[in-house]
Amino acid sequence: MSEHTRGLSGGPVSRRTFLSTAGLTTAGAAATVAGFPAIVRAQTREVKVGYLLPVTGPLAYEAGLALNGLALAVDEINASGGIKSLGGAKITMMPGDTQNKVELGNSEASRLIDQGAVAIIGPFSSLVAFSVRQVTEKNKTPFLLLAAVADNLTEGGLKYIFRMQPNGRGMATLTVNNMFEMAKNANVPIKRVAMMHEDGNFGTTMGNHVEAFSKTMGYELVQRIPYNLRSPDLTSELSKVKAARPDLLIVSGYYGDSKLIAETAAKLRIGVSALVGLANAAYSNPKFIAENRELTEHLFDGNYWYNPQSARARAVFAAYQKKFGSTMANHGVQGYQVTFVLKDALERAASTDRDKIRDAIAKTNLSDQILTQDAIRFDDSGEGINATPALIQVQNGKPVVVGPARFAEAKPVFPVPKWKG
Amino acid sequence: MTGGLLLQAVVSGLLLGGVYGLVASGLSLIFGVLRIINFAHGAVMMLAMYTTYWLFALAGVDPYLSVILTAPLFFALGVVIQKVVIEPNRSAAEHNQLLLTLGLALFFENLALVLWQGDFRTVRVAYSNASFMIGEALVEVPRLVASGGAVLMAVGLFAFLRLTDVGKALRALAEEPEGAALVGINVARIRAAAFGLGSACVAVAGALITPFFYVAPDVAESFNIMAFVVVVLGGMGNFMGALAGGFIVGLAESLGAAFLPGSLKQLVVFMIFVLVLLFRPQGLFGGSRDR
Repeated sequence: MSEHTRGLSGGPVSRRTFLSTAGLTTAGAAATVAGFPAIVRAQTREVKVGYLLPVTGPLAYEAGLALNGLALAVDEINASGGIKSLGGAKITMMPGDTQNKVELGNSEASRLIDQGAVAIIGPFSSLVAFSVRQVTEKNKTPFLLLAAVADNLTEGGLKYIFRMQPNGRGMATLTVNNMFEMAKNANVPIKRVAMMHEDGNFGTTMGNHVEAFSKTMGYELVQRIPYNLRSPDLTSELSKVKAARPDLLIVSGYYGDSKLIAETAAKLRIGVSALVGLANAAYSNPKFIAENRELTEHLFDGNYWYNPQSARARAVFAAYQKKFGSTMANHGVQGYQVTFVLKDALERAASTDRDKIRDAIAKTNLSDQILTQDAIRFDDSGEGINATPALIQVQNGKPVVVGPARFAEAKPVFPVPKWKG
Repeated sequence: MTGGLLLQAVVSGLLLGGVYGLVASGLSLIFGVLRIINFAHGAVMMLAMYTTYWLFALAGVDPYLSVILTAPLFFALGVVIQKVVIEPNRSAAEHNQLLLTLGLALFFENLALVLWQGDFRTVRVAYSNASFMIGEALVEVPRLVASGGAVLMAVGLFAFLRLTDVGKALRALAEEPEGAALVGINVARIRAAAFGLGSACVAVAGALITPFFYVAPDVAESFNIMAFVVVVLGGMGNFMGALAGGFIVGLAESLGAAFLPGSLKQLVVFMIFVLVLLFRPQGLFGGSRDR
């Protein structure tokens, strides 16, 4: 534990660390002079990894959360001896800001690769990812997706792209599945479903799946409303939803818009059994919950989450809390875990050669992980085979896992009295 | 569709429209007098929203009351911007002035990002969630206050421009800059006053929006483009037109949302925008220099 927390203080390089590294360099130089072959230690001092995130612009807040996860993982790795198969090489994160713009995504990716990044983690938005994947593919650089959910990102026989988390289809269908299972247990049938989603690639993908899945699950999608992320008012849209009398309202959106929807839905007394987020940036977000206690109580969200049954996940959760003074949530979980997927691959590749790292990632079978799923593995297209979202519900002001059953830490409250109106 | 939905759409549209008008009136004023398209307008509003937020968070000042402080403060900021940044470049090409305000906007936004991060912040006051029903239509009190504030501000500005010397000088400058200088109006001072007044207006707008919306460095993006549409619709420099334009855009958006599928509502607004530019480029209600 002491080793664990030591790395998380995140302070500047101490004098002792500096002296010991300086000493090592001298030793390495001496070794070269003496003609020793074992100089790997001195040669591979760092492994450069690039991240691409919209750290400024409309998604700056969410990107910051993901960045926290990355930083936490890198600190932990470096503090516990770096990449051992590379002689304890430390991971250096090189920043790339996409501002959520496609053209910046490409140029920043190229820059990071030029500057020696052995892999790229990012870029949050599916739209940016769709473009960046061509740059990483051309440069034969492993590209570990973070947050991006659009299904088409791994299509087209690409070799260098990997997605640990569920794609849009998995996210939508597994979340709807989880909801229906819960409804069945509660003897509350769900027949009519309404969906609101932001009209970018992310929301639209989710909307398509919820629509397509209706036949399989036997529900009717009574309203499907795409909206602009920037809309300052959504009262008319929600009135339309209310008029359609759905049993369930599913919302795929970002922070501000999802907040507006929940607030307006509450004021309109929308009358559903539950308000469910789907990969929602707000509904399981601890900050959103803390600031809107009454509004958020009993909201659902299908999202990436850490496994409350895992001791390691709980330790990471505590470390995050200590380092950043805030609660770790979906993006932080992903940032942390994806860095460890790369770390695991680097250990096995024992090389900074991008192709070797790529092959190592493809062979990942990582069971020491913090997600609500079985071991992290990838199929031929680079999709996570066991990727599963958790079903989360806000209870007593805390997001808790209520499904799938084997990871659950609490029983769901369903139907939700206040949304039933 | 049901009558309830129509009523709701009209009510929401008017409330939203008032907010657009509120944001647009300062923009319209600045354009009318200075002939510059002020891209920094939204960013100034964002700064005002942060000021409102911090006054509330640190000193417990009610957002509506904080107007007493923010309006003069942002009048001063506007004067400074005009004197330091815009005035020295008056003789520069128009696109330079345009880029200047754009640069200012980017500067403010990134400054906010550095100072306060990309965090969403909200001001929680007792009346934040206050609402009542008219028939089947929901009326949110803070939005109603903002909308009412827009009307009051437009009337106040109108009276100011008609009845005071500074107001008359502003109008003279808008009508005929050279003539205004010839009759002895201190045009540089009046230009500074115009920018200050425009900034004060948008500061009031920011304060009135804060109780029902979040504050973030890029918050202005939700209102900025619509404010430009509204200004064009109402006639550049005509802030009564801006108010009316605001209501038109708000109604179009809201009715579009209620009765058209998907995100077509934006399409309706921008279609009106393009049509107005094509067939009535001086705006529906005429610009300040409508000759």
